[in-house]
Amino acid sequence: MSIVQLEHVRKVYDKKVAVEDLSFSIEPGTMFGLLGPNGSGKTSSIRMMVGITMPDSGVVRLFGEPFKRDALKRVAYLPEERGLYKKMKVIDQLVFLGQLRGLDEATALKRSHEWCERLQITEAIPKKTEELSKGMQQKIQFISTLLHEPELIIMDEPFSGLDPVNATLLIDTMLELRNEGRAILFSTHRMDQVEKMCDAICLISRGRPVLSGTMREVKSRYPRNRVQMTFEGDAGFLRDPAVEEARLYNGSAEIRLKDEAAAQQVLAQAVNGGTRITRFEVMEPTLEEIFIQEVGAGGNVDA
Amino acid sequence: MPSNTLLIAKREYLERVRTKSFLVTTMLIPLLMGGGILFSVVKSRHSKAASHIAVVAADTDLALALQDELEHGKDSAMQVDVISPPTGNTRQAVVDETAEKQIDGFLWIDMDKGKPKATYTSISSADISTTQAIESSLRRAIVREGMKRKGVDAGEIKLMMAPVELETETIKNGEISKSDTMTAFFGAYVLFFLMYMAVMLHGMNVARSIIEEKTSRVFEVMLATVRPQEMMTGKLLGVGAVGLTQIGIWVLAALGLSAAPMASAAGAGAIHISFSAGQIIAFIGYFVMGFLLYSGMAAAIGAMVNSEQELQQFNMVIALPMAACMFVLVPVISDPNSPFSRIISLVPTCTPLIMYLRIAISNPPWYDIAASVVILLATIYGVLWLTARIYRVGILMYGKRPTLPEILKWLKYS
Repeated sequence: MSIVQLEHVRKVYDKKVAVEDLSFSIEPGTMFGLLGPNGSGKTSSIRMMVGITMPDSGVVRLFGEPFKRDALKRVAYLPEERGLYKKMKVIDQLVFLGQLRGLDEATALKRSHEWCERLQITEAIPKKTEELSKGMQQKIQFISTLLHEPELIIMDEPFSGLDPVNATLLIDTMLELRNEGRAILFSTHRMDQVEKMCDAICLISRGRPVLSGTMREVKSRYPRNRVQMTFEGDAGFLRDPAVEEARLYNGSAEIRLKDEAAAQQVLAQAVNGGTRITRFEVMEPTLEEIFIQEVGAGGNVDA
Repeated sequence: MPSNTLLIAKREYLERVRTKSFLVTTMLIPLLMGGGILFSVVKSRHSKAASHIAVVAADTDLALALQDELEHGKDSAMQVDVISPPTGNTRQAVVDETAEKQIDGFLWIDMDKGKPKATYTSISSADISTTQAIESSLRRAIVREGMKRKGVDAGEIKLMMAPVELETETIKNGEISKSDTMTAFFGAYVLFFLMYMAVMLHGMNVARSIIEEKTSRVFEVMLATVRPQEMMTGKLLGVGAVGLTQIGIWVLAALGLSAAPMASAAGAGAIHISFSAGQIIAFIGYFVMGFLLYSGMAAAIGAMVNSEQELQQFNMVIALPMAACMFVLVPVISDPNSPFSRIISLVPTCTPLIMYLRIAISNPPWYDIAASVVILLATIYGVLWLTARIYRVGILMYGKRPTLPEILKWLKYS
């Protein structure tokens, strides 16, 4: 059973099409990345999954059933625009938000303390929210979404505004949650994080899905036609007709081949030509390159 | 999901009741209001015209009688110089004295075929209390002199001219009780202003609290679990409960004060405030309805604007109908059951304040009260219906303020 399933979802605001024909599904225990440039429809898609807006057409299924508000008790949502009651004490705030998600007061209190310990912010517990630093507020927000032990965690741009230390802490926590069997969906436009963390992705551009599938599937659709090599001696092999483009640096080269299969041929030629090779690596394209290629190919990117 | 609504209401209530501003407004508003009104009532009762004037008349007896009235009259304690009879340069002398501000003015009395013709000349044109005192004193002086000339005995004249005290009684529930109009009026007046302040204060608090959630972006987090209607209802309940708490404290304090013996001392001996049970029920009932009406309007405004500053520009929408109640206060108090008062008390934006006032100072017919409640409840329903729609869309709109056509479009989303 898929945790989330979108089928041909479409959402239009006035005359602007925000999301068009979007379909994907997320399995339990999966880290799913929703990628796209700014204004591509990530937030619009997420809002439909948590019932803030309704799709104009298409179906959103949560836990195998068409969207029902009851299902939200099993979902966590961390919006891009973070918000907490500034004047409230941290612990009151956490308990309040926990109760809204159906916990009783004692459980909410107990789990709040546990999470504050886990994220190393116990000193913030008795303070008012407005007295905390931005990073601490982000952690409180993060905790508040997880108190009810959701099966599906949806996070809109969770890393924006976090320093590297806290971003790493967040990544580690997310991976732990994934390993506990929860499905996590997050949106971002930072490809380096996605590449490390995600099991599956969906790339959207101007409201339409461009790429979708597991990380392996997506990458396998792109040829492994890039070679990085380090060498000493003659660089004449770079003139081989199979080389489409080559950048020559001091003692190393980045090569793009016309054909995936040509790598061995180029290597053989280099060896035959007497070049001393210390490294020769055939690489798959990075997600960032795929992103730029796909989004860039579609014309302008909305900023 | 009423449990969500209650949770939101509880949070709103606790967060507000714990603030210092709640404590301050609860203490200060009745103190300032009661003190101010008490001061003005006491002042106006004991204030007497106290100008220094000159009386110029050919008739010395009349001039002396007038002097006596003006210096020791019921509502005047003036200093009076008598010049009688006038000589050729008297007029120039008094004009100069007035111009030099040695005296506040002079009264010139001429006899015209046995009928006195009086002119008061002064440097200020709008000294109402002085001119009124002169007018009534002059009439009494003329009557007194006239009777004296007809040979009426001085003791008899004094008896006839003595001021009359009017006692008032009210019939309520078939019982006649002695009433002090001043007291009833004072009590009603204080509560009228308290209700005005409470409705205004808590209505604006609803708008402010919505804007706070909007600027701090709490809405997005909340909306993933709670429906907009639940948020709005919870907020109205929570803030309304704060208002009721505040009013409860005031009512208890007022009851305690009217029971304590010190109350009469504090009220300068004559003013003793008492509230009937019916008056308190009417007060609370109309406060609740007034709060719902005005906070409903405030919630819609709060959902439409983006900041406190923008809210200030729209304060008028709430403040104006409230201020209208103040403008009609005097005609309603002077005749609480006139057609004008009855119509005004049925205008929904005025009903809470004006109908309450009519109940407090008179006994309006039951169908007037029933009609006011029905009309008011229907209006509240309509306002909340509209507000719920504006709220649902408005809270997720940031940035630009919506135009009227856009708001109309929001109403159509369902």
